[in-house]
Amino acid sequence: MSKTMTGAQMVIDILVKQGISDVFGYPGGAIMPIYDALYGAPLKHYLTRHEQGAGFAAVGYARSTGKLGVCFATSGPGATNLVTALADAMMDSVPLLAITGQVPTAAIGSDAFQEVDVLGMSLSCTKHSFMVERAEDLAEVLQQAMHLAVSGRPGPVLVDIPKDIQQALVPFSPWSADTQAQEAPILNDLALANELLKKASKPVAYVGGGVHSADAQPALMAFLEQTQMPAVSTLKALGSVLPEYEYDLGMLGMHGTKAANLAVQECDLLVCIGARFDDRVTGNLAKFAAKAKVIHLDIDAAEIGKRKPAAASLVADLNVSLPLLQGVLAPADWRAHISHMQREYAWRYDYPGEKVFAPYLLNKLSHDVPQDTVVCCDVGQHQMWVAQHMKFSHPSNHLSSGGAGTMGFGLPAAIGAKIARPDNMVITVSGDGSIMMNIQELATIRRNNLAVKIVILDNQRLGMVRQWQELFFSARYSETNLSDNPDFVQLAAVFGIPGQTITHASEVDDAIEKLVNSSGPYILHACIDDKENVWPLVPPGAANDEMLTENTQ
Amino acid sequence: MKHQLTVAVKNQSVAVERFLRVARHRGFRLMQLQLEGQDELFLVKMTVDSEKPIYLLTSQLNKLVDVQSVDLHTLQQQAI
Repeated sequence: MSKTMTGAQMVIDILVKQGISDVFGYPGGAIMPIYDALYGAPLKHYLTRHEQGAGFAAVGYARSTGKLGVCFATSGPGATNLVTALADAMMDSVPLLAITGQVPTAAIGSDAFQEVDVLGMSLSCTKHSFMVERAEDLAEVLQQAMHLAVSGRPGPVLVDIPKDIQQALVPFSPWSADTQAQEAPILNDLALANELLKKASKPVAYVGGGVHSADAQPALMAFLEQTQMPAVSTLKALGSVLPEYEYDLGMLGMHGTKAANLAVQECDLLVCIGARFDDRVTGNLAKFAAKAKVIHLDIDAAEIGKRKPAAASLVADLNVSLPLLQGVLAPADWRAHISHMQREYAWRYDYPGEKVFAPYLLNKLSHDVPQDTVVCCDVGQHQMWVAQHMKFSHPSNHLSSGGAGTMGFGLPAAIGAKIARPDNMVITVSGDGSIMMNIQELATIRRNNLAVKIVILDNQRLGMVRQWQELFFSARYSETNLSDNPDFVQLAAVFGIPGQTITHASEVDDAIEKLVNSSGPYILHACIDDKENVWPLVPPGAANDEMLTENTQ
Repeated sequence: MKHQLTVAVKNQSVAVERFLRVARHRGFRLMQLQLEGQDELFLVKMTVDSEKPIYLLTSQLNKLVDVQSVDLHTLQQQAI
């Protein structure tokens, strides 16, 4: 006998039965039945102050735990406000379920109030999307959507539910993922891959976000320990290679470390582990790792050969493919050369000026926080400094908008992370530009008394754009001056969040101590030099070994 | 280079929209399109034109949840 309830009750019931405990959202007309069913339900809803905030909080929740993030929005503008978070989740392969209310079935296509073709709009920014057209399909669609979001290469899935279907009595029909054909691994090149590993004299492991998606850090570390191969990481992979690994070279690419970029340019074998040769990683693609053969490991067959041909490819879950590789110890002279580059190009924090030096501040912060602290970034110079100067022991501790590069990501993502991991410290590092993109979420922090720590590196500029204007647009600083910023500490105070402003290098250590020891939310507003740039930098069109540094300027 | 494909997709108009969007976005110009409903599936025969290798399209189409199969006709399938 199937139990009958309203569609709205069914939505909540299925979420609860599937183990969802927290959702983020914002109510409105076409999703009111679902919000009514939510009232008193054993599912905690966090009201954000903008649907984009709800989307990014769900992304932060998902990325900091590996679990499915769930967000709700109403039809029309509610759903359009979610789009940026969906696109972000699509680019970074984040498991996300978005449920949107839609105008009643009979009104669809009539340009009804708050009607937008959300299904059409979702096509380019979701892994898959549904509009529920018949009440009897609702249960199956929801279960399938949740399965799709977390399976294979994860991604955002949207379910658009017309209001009349939320109100209709619907039967529950169980749906099992077992009825769906599972993608079989493609491991035909395994022998070739192992042959390439055996022959390589200068191998490099190029580690991507897939390691986090697959929860494959142990398999990755086992491979690295076996081979002692130098490892370079994408922005999203940071934390996958444990910081104590001897041949960890940090991030590669446009703002990567010199050692990472030079090692990749010199290598004769590039073992790509869950990465996709993104343009910010490769620089000039034709000149990227030009001497290397590629072994490409990915769960998504469409990534193989998309940007760079692979000599051998293994299409499978990394927990299946990585242990199949017969790693051999990387040659001693190559490892010695890597060690030499690590010493030669190590970061320096002995900045001579009296102003706050952002890399020093972040490096100090990284040392002073507990190991399982989650750091959420926004986008720009501060984001690259975090990637360069902070260490992470797991990719779920470093949440940064990678593929989409979305300003406004950091604060709501930190809210989601803090709700998912209340026992861990959660810090958002932002810039004076980015923080204003979702500043309304300070109200969500206040409403839920979330101990989110906020660090704003304030150069009164849209710093990364300003840097490019200086270097590549003849210092024509078009619309990047933000010297009329509000007083951020006063602004936070209005939301009941204490904090302080610092302007001198001598204040940094004490300020970090205060932030770390504060019991609730806290804001550290650090004023930095507006002329400070992120180095090194691979200029557009150049190869990764043609990096600009402070000294080449 | 022109390629002819037969794509079997779920019999829903959004499924067709979805794969046409992928073809356009990935850089394949639509030259011909023929749609035939068969029980629960649409059989879509289409000709696309692009400078890009065709596997860059077929690999993306194969990922779509609503796509059951992608068959390439006129030219030999290029190995990945």
